[in-house]
Amino acid sequence: MKMQFSRAAIALFTAAALFTACTKDDPAPGQDSETKYVLITLSDRVTGTKAGFISAFDEMPTGAISNATAGSLEGQGMGGWRTYGNNIYKMFRTEDYATGIEKINIAADGTVTAGQFISSKDQAAAAKYFGTGNFVIKDDDTGYYWDAAEPTKIQKFNPSSMTVSLGSIDLTEVLNERGTGEDGIKFRSAGQKLLAIKGNKLYANLTYAKNDASQIGFFDDFFPDVYIAVIDLQNETYEKTISIKNTGSITYINENHMYDYDTNGDLYIVCQGRSSIGGQSKIARIKANETDIDATWELDYAADYTDDYNGKFVGVFAKDGKLILTVNTEPLTGSNINSANIWKFYAVDVATKDFTEITGVPVGTNPGAAMAAVEVDGKVLLRGSTVGGENGYYEYNPSNQTATLAFSVNAGGAVSGFHKIEVQ
Amino acid sequence: MVTALAILMAVYVHGQPGTLTGMVTDEQGNVLVGASVTIGGAVSPQITDHAGRFAFANLPSGNYTLRVTHVGYAEYIETIRFDGRKTELTIRLSAQATILEGATVIGKTETQQIREQAIRAVVVDTRAVAEQPTTLAELMNRAPGIRIRQSGGLGNAVDVSVNGFQGNSVQYFRDGIPLEYLGGGYGINNVPINLLERAEVYKGVVPVSLGGDALGGAINLVTRQHIGSMLDISYEVASFNTHIANLSAYHHTRSGWFVGFDAFYNYSDNDYNADVEVVNENANLVPATVPLFHNGYSHYFLETYAGVSNTSWTDELRFSVAHYNMDRESQHPALMTNPYGALTMHNKGWIPSLRYRKAFGAFAVDQFISYSAVDRSRIDTVRGTYNWYGDFTPHTGIGESPRPSLSAVDFNNIIARTNLGYRISESHSLNANIIINHNRRIGTDPYGLRFAGTDIDVLSKEAIYSKTIAGMSWESKWLDERLVNQLTAKFFRFNTRGINGFMANATDLDDYTTSENNNWGIGNAVKYTLGDRHLLRASVELTNRLPRENELFGDNDTRAPNFDLEPERSLNANFGYRYQSSQLTAEVGTFYRKTKGMILLVPVQPPFAQYQNLDSIRGYGVDIDLTYQIGQVLQLNTNATWQDNRMVDIGDGLYKWIEGTRLRNTPYFFANAAAVGNLGSVLSTNDKLKPYLHWNFIREFYLNHIPRDAEPDGFLGLFGQAKVPVTNVVPNQHLVSAGINYFFATQPISVAFEMKNIANSKLYDYYKIQRPGRSFHVKVNYHLTKKR
Repeated sequence: MKMQFSRAAIALFTAAALFTACTKDDPAPGQDSETKYVLITLSDRVTGTKAGFISAFDEMPTGAISNATAGSLEGQGMGGWRTYGNNIYKMFRTEDYATGIEKINIAADGTVTAGQFISSKDQAAAAKYFGTGNFVIKDDDTGYYWDAAEPTKIQKFNPSSMTVSLGSIDLTEVLNERGTGEDGIKFRSAGQKLLAIKGNKLYANLTYAKNDASQIGFFDDFFPDVYIAVIDLQNETYEKTISIKNTGSITYINENHMYDYDTNGDLYIVCQGRSSIGGQSKIARIKANETDIDATWELDYAADYTDDYNGKFVGVFAKDGKLILTVNTEPLTGSNINSANIWKFYAVDVATKDFTEITGVPVGTNPGAAMAAVEVDGKVLLRGSTVGGENGYYEYNPSNQTATLAFSVNAGGAVSGFHKIEVQ
Repeated sequence: MVTALAILMAVYVHGQPGTLTGMVTDEQGNVLVGASVTIGGAVSPQITDHAGRFAFANLPSGNYTLRVTHVGYAEYIETIRFDGRKTELTIRLSAQATILEGATVIGKTETQQIREQAIRAVVVDTRAVAEQPTTLAELMNRAPGIRIRQSGGLGNAVDVSVNGFQGNSVQYFRDGIPLEYLGGGYGINNVPINLLERAEVYKGVVPVSLGGDALGGAINLVTRQHIGSMLDISYEVASFNTHIANLSAYHHTRSGWFVGFDAFYNYSDNDYNADVEVVNENANLVPATVPLFHNGYSHYFLETYAGVSNTSWTDELRFSVAHYNMDRESQHPALMTNPYGALTMHNKGWIPSLRYRKAFGAFAVDQFISYSAVDRSRIDTVRGTYNWYGDFTPHTGIGESPRPSLSAVDFNNIIARTNLGYRISESHSLNANIIINHNRRIGTDPYGLRFAGTDIDVLSKEAIYSKTIAGMSWESKWLDERLVNQLTAKFFRFNTRGINGFMANATDLDDYTTSENNNWGIGNAVKYTLGDRHLLRASVELTNRLPRENELFGDNDTRAPNFDLEPERSLNANFGYRYQSSQLTAEVGTFYRKTKGMILLVPVQPPFAQYQNLDSIRGYGVDIDLTYQIGQVLQLNTNATWQDNRMVDIGDGLYKWIEGTRLRNTPYFFANAAAVGNLGSVLSTNDKLKPYLHWNFIREFYLNHIPRDAEPDGFLGLFGQAKVPVTNVVPNQHLVSAGINYFFATQPISVAFEMKNIANSKLYDYYKIQRPGRSFHVKVNYHLTKKR
């Protein structure tokens, strides 16, 4: 009997040793460099969680590159980011797609890691009400963000230490100034979609939502106009409410680049319109030294681009009196908006509102949360990514409205963003 | 070689007529309860009692054909001469086919036959471990090539992976009927093993008789077979306030009428500790270990049946009514990112069914029909949210999830299955099977989705789904039955009717979309036996997996409908070798698969996703299973499975880099080892003690695709880690469980104790959902068999 049990024990031990004798590989060594070109790609075709990669390169990429390398960060929520100086922030946690603010760390050897994460104070509320982590940064020590836990307040955080406890700006009374007792308004919030700073003023959209399920506050405006609260950041006091007339769906969390500042300081704000496939979409402006919507200027999708509201603006990049936009070439439907090559680049003259097609960059998929146009080393780079496989950034030549391929990406997914930093 | 041994002992001489008594045991001398003993049609058959004994009183002297059967053992037949003296027999049944001196054994056990048929099946012998506090999912996880993934504790959903096929590619049956007719009230995740004879797992070709559209895997739950009258009761109590009770009763009259009742009740708080992250004062997430507080599960299933058997007009006519009710608390969404504290799910149903079987000479018919009325609801109406500690924060909005709900959805399902068999000769037979499945969905949800621009509930519009699967097989035996060939052909058809609408799409509410699709499949399986120890088999099949109702209709939430889906098609090939001796059983199986047009969930328009025919998968793999018997007191078993399923035919597009990457969220190596003891006369004569130890290992795998050249190095990728820092990885997992099972000598009672996850290891399944830590289980079984 003992012998029989001994044989059994030896067999089990041997098997256990075989399966547990795994060793960790050492990470591949990187090259130390202070300057990093950081690329994010999205590969979410069959995941639904915005899976993808972030890599840091020592030099401006050229040719065909992989974005899934030894130092890359793999994870979720790779749909976009916002940058502040040499810092990169993401609104989705790499580990599990939770919404909040995640700082991306870039090491001198090029290793990319997910850093600290500011969560909603109420994780369940953040999962129910989309938008937690929509943020804007004022300076190294102060930023503002929206938290579903307290939807009518704007929270403060320290973007360096990634901590909160700085208090909040309460806009509950401001939100209740309109729509009192209106049953059709299911949800109110301040700063859920737009938080922008210009001239020491904070601009926070006021949401009056009709939906009480699925993306509450997005594409479900109760009022035909959209409202923006203006807050003086000198003492963080509410100043007034301004509005953009006859439109809807102002911006869409800040990873989607739906507002931008022109070289002269003018702020351009995208409104996607009545639904997720458009209608009454427009771009409004607040001039550099103003705090009201410029009543003399707007770029209307139907009036200025085509004759019908069959699409929408999905982003804006402003420089030297020109806007770079991507606009749909076919009427939007639920099936082509994100999966067809229908988004074409145009340069729009702010003064004349003339649309000029930019050639050389392919008509591609929806840049959505991606950075459709970025400026790195003084070059404006345009995102070109198609279903067929064209995938890279194209250098824009404003003199002849053409673009030429700067680099392409062959592994890791669709390009979503590109940024240059100095490692701190 | 093992044995069926008959020891005939004449005790003392007596006048005529006399009494013939005896006892039936297994090879180890353990008494077998419920064995059927017959000595010809003129004498009433007997069933062994709790001591394994039987008796024929007032038996005239003469020649009799003694026939002893017991499920799981070889049939024993012997011609005996009874001379009127009181005679005591001891009959030892074998689990293996053999011929012994003085006894004639015909056929093999059903389990053995299934294991050795041309179409390979892994047989999970539930009957053999029915007394243990073990779930069916745990048992199946110990089999080669099979992974059961369960999202959490008792009662939560399971997904079976067979050779890398998973989800809807694997189908489930009960006694050959698609399990869906029982509406979720009876399945791998909830049925106690006491109610089952065995579970057959088909890897590769699926037999025509199952009538499914599985791509490469099917599981057939075979219900317990009853003889005579019996009562079976078991009760298990376990950690996390878990209670599992089972009651089964059966009575068979001399005239052939029978009546039976099967019931089980499962309850668990499932309040095991889980590692989560909670928010600190700086709004940073910090680790915390908390008991799950809203993870309970309650479920009962009742089925009563009656009928008649072995008459001139029927072999069996059986009418059955099943009813179940299932309530489940939902602790978190698909990932454990945030808690729920009030969201519940409910499912209940009534299912009458009728089955008729009759063999007319060479012709046999088996007809089944059922109607299922199933009500499902999801309740999420609380105005507020919970944190991981169970604290409630009120909010004005309805529901704690992104989708508030007060749904009531009715599903009506009719399944008709006809199986016809015809034996052409001793060596050739035909089998034809057709299944018609019609499903209708309609419901309400005051908080549910509305068609765009209207206040019309999406659920209020009827949706229809029906499918027909027909097949025919020809089995032929050659070379003195050493070569068996089975050629199969199948026909697949589905049609749907519903409204193809979701948010932001123009929807015509009067325009019902219809869709239909017809396809063919073909397969062949061959088995060759070398001597009595070696068996070779090979099979190849081109088959289809039809789109499922939920893939076509969507889920009334963020999954948009797609009525244009087409079936997945797969070419599967399998080759295997089996060796068996009295001490060692060894089996090696290999497979190849190429699946085209996989139906995958694809993000379309936020927040919607939609099932689409997308990628292809090519894979191959091998599994090895060894069982070694050391004397009669210890059995060792080990198996290992390695499979290499990879994305192919991605094309030249944006996702070309995925070409060649592993199938995501799917383990590619796992192994088991077990030691099972069998000790007799431990505390008293004829009692029995069965200690056992099980170890399970799963190699780390990745939730998302990573480039092939970044995969771990080492033999078959078994060692090291990925060369890119992978965030979404499920780490190596070890599960060790052990228990003892004690059978009283004089009472039909057994008790069992088991400790699961002894090391309290971190275990994950289904996108890193945590599974319970160490737990303790006690189970008591009572089994009574009454002579007719």
